[in-house]
Amino acid sequence: MFYYLSLPFLSILLVILQSTITDVFFSGRLVFELSLIVIIYAGFRLDLIRGSILAFILGFVFDCVAGSVPGLFTFIYVVIFLCSFFASGRLATEKIYVIALFSFFCAFLKELMVILFYYSAFKFDVLINMYFVFLPQALIVGLFAPVFFYLMRRVEVSLYEKAV
Amino acid sequence: MFLLRKYKTAIFIVTLLVIAVIMFSYNLKYGADGSFFGKVVLEAVAPAQKVLSASVTSVKDDWLRYVLLVGIEEENKNLKNKINEFKATLILYQEGYLEAQRLRKLLSLTDDYHYHFVSARVIGREQAALSKTILINKGTTHGLKTGMPVIAPPGLIGRLVDVSWHASKVLLFIDENSNVDAIVQRTRMQGIISGAGPRGLILKYISKTQDVKEGDVIVSSGMGGVFPKGMLIGQVSHVDRQDASLFLKINVAPFVDFSKLEEILILASDEDKIK
Repeated sequence: MFYYLSLPFLSILLVILQSTITDVFFSGRLVFELSLIVIIYAGFRLDLIRGSILAFILGFVFDCVAGSVPGLFTFIYVVIFLCSFFASGRLATEKIYVIALFSFFCAFLKELMVILFYYSAFKFDVLINMYFVFLPQALIVGLFAPVFFYLMRRVEVSLYEKAV
Repeated sequence: MFLLRKYKTAIFIVTLLVIAVIMFSYNLKYGADGSFFGKVVLEAVAPAQKVLSASVTSVKDDWLRYVLLVGIEEENKNLKNKINEFKATLILYQEGYLEAQRLRKLLSLTDDYHYHFVSARVIGREQAALSKTILINKGTTHGLKTGMPVIAPPGLIGRLVDVSWHASKVLLFIDENSNVDAIVQRTRMQGIISGAGPRGLILKYISKTQDVKEGDVIVSSGMGGVFPKGMLIGQVSHVDRQDASLFLKINVAPFVDFSKLEEILILASDEDKIK
């Protein structure tokens, strides 16, 4: 129960942290998608119910704070969670290159969904952003995901040791 | 009942996806006017974002102040020269302004709308793919409403899209979702300014036969009644006539650096005074 109650607060903190890091290091040109890495991690580690609720709430908070079409990221985050959940059974998720490549793939999939949405809803030709925005962003996610996974594993191990 | 129990996880996930689809379909059709939960999230984000932004900004400012000291003397000299040039230009403009005031009186022209400014501080810059918004520390309790135009001198920067009680979300012009009716100041040619994310702005629907040059100033047209007429938006940075389409491909550089916004003004319309 504590997990579900703390989710909205943790999601808000995560989105704030993400926007601050983005603002400090990339001056708004690129987005450091920490929330997406968390969703991928949740897909590898959590069960379907817990993970999908996390993805839904995180997506909703992200939509409220940063999105211009509320609901879009809520949908995308749940889809990304489902992708990583079903992929986790078939991939060697402890290997660094698998984490990096899969995170890159998920980030790219997310951008593709956004492009498709903008194209079908507003007829915007946003493909030009592919090389300057989407690919670099997906690369950042792919590069940082192994670091995040490593840090989270350390936290999990230390928590487990304390409990024992 | 057995099926329901067997597939309860799948049903739950499909329900979540359906709720998300309904949410963005509804917002697409009726516009994002801010749900109650959305307002609550904005209210919760504002104070935490304010504290984090303030501490990060102070560290950043101290560091930049130190870095900027290098070469400040040279810059100071250049700025003084520029001030002298601007003073001369300002005198010319003052003359023009006074003349315009006299002519306006003669022609009995009056503004259609009355605005008053509400100043606000930027407490967060939120970036998602193709979406550029900022959070400010004022909301409905300060008289703000969805749709009000936002300016950061010298020009317009966007409009309010989500207003909670003590915080609001501003959709910036560079957001791909943003479209504003605008005119080229020199030729009075009308077009649509659309956001292009990191590439700035794009002026659309200007025919290839029209005369648009680099350096032309783009101002709001006042059409649609959201933005007042004649407010600065940007300057033409590149005109492409080679494209096969019927219209020019015009890139516009905004007057405002959107990554450095700190304080902004909201043009709150005084509806009682509308003539």
